[in-house]
Amino acid sequence: MNASSKSPGGDMPDFSDVESGASSTAKEAAPAYKLYTIKSGDSLSKIAKHEYGNANDWRRIFEANQDIIKNPDKIFPGQEIKIPL
Amino acid sequence: MKAFTRVSVAVIVTGVAFSMAACKKKEETTALPAPPPAAAPAAVDVINVPVSVKQLTLSNRIDEATKKAATAMSSFAANDTIYAVVDTIGSGKAAIKALWTYHKDGQSAQVNETVQEIDATGPASTEFHVSKPGGWPAGDYQVEVLVNDVSATVQKFTVN
Repeated sequence: MNASSKSPGGDMPDFSDVESGASSTAKEAAPAYKLYTIKSGDSLSKIAKHEYGNANDWRRIFEANQDIIKNPDKIFPGQEIKIPL
Repeated sequence: MKAFTRVSVAVIVTGVAFSMAACKKKEETTALPAPPPAAAPAAVDVINVPVSVKQLTLSNRIDEATKKAATAMSSFAANDTIYAVVDTIGSGKAAIKALWTYHKDGQSAQVNETVQEIDATGPASTEFHVSKPGGWPAGDYQVEVLVNDVSATVQKFTVN
């Protein structure tokens, strides 16, 4: 599960390979997720390949974001989506 | 006149005695029921307040069952998995977010932003962890914890 990076400067380190997770002693109301900001050139399958290692997992991301993504082929730079962990 | 006064006093005393007896009897028959139990203890009130952060602890190791940090740390090695353990009080649904950032020369870069939604029934511990297969760049970092998108606490740490 890799993280998005919002490095403002070219000399800042790349954190795109950061792996993350979360868990709680409390009842989990929903599975933990990471927030990702869509960049130009992204597609759900490309994000799924990067995050899960399998482009076919795009549906997992789509289903977690149906409140903001109505058509999986139409995502826009700047949209912040949930990446289920 | 004197005899009349003595008789009057006797009548009055007798009347008062009867009245007091009657009142006592009435009190006995209309006695109030036992008072209800005392108000719920304060601890219950703590549970019924919204979720809020009590403590944030950083470490490179936690107990998986209790989510408690083994040792509080503020400095990590490049290959460490870094845990942020968020102890909360209160109850109800809450979205707890850990926002990890790297800071250098007045600039910052986002490292990771993870959300765990909980439905708490009292004190709870929620852990967030991050790792970097290639190793963490040395420098200054911080993790900010937000509850329902409102900043609750921030803790700085370094990677050497």
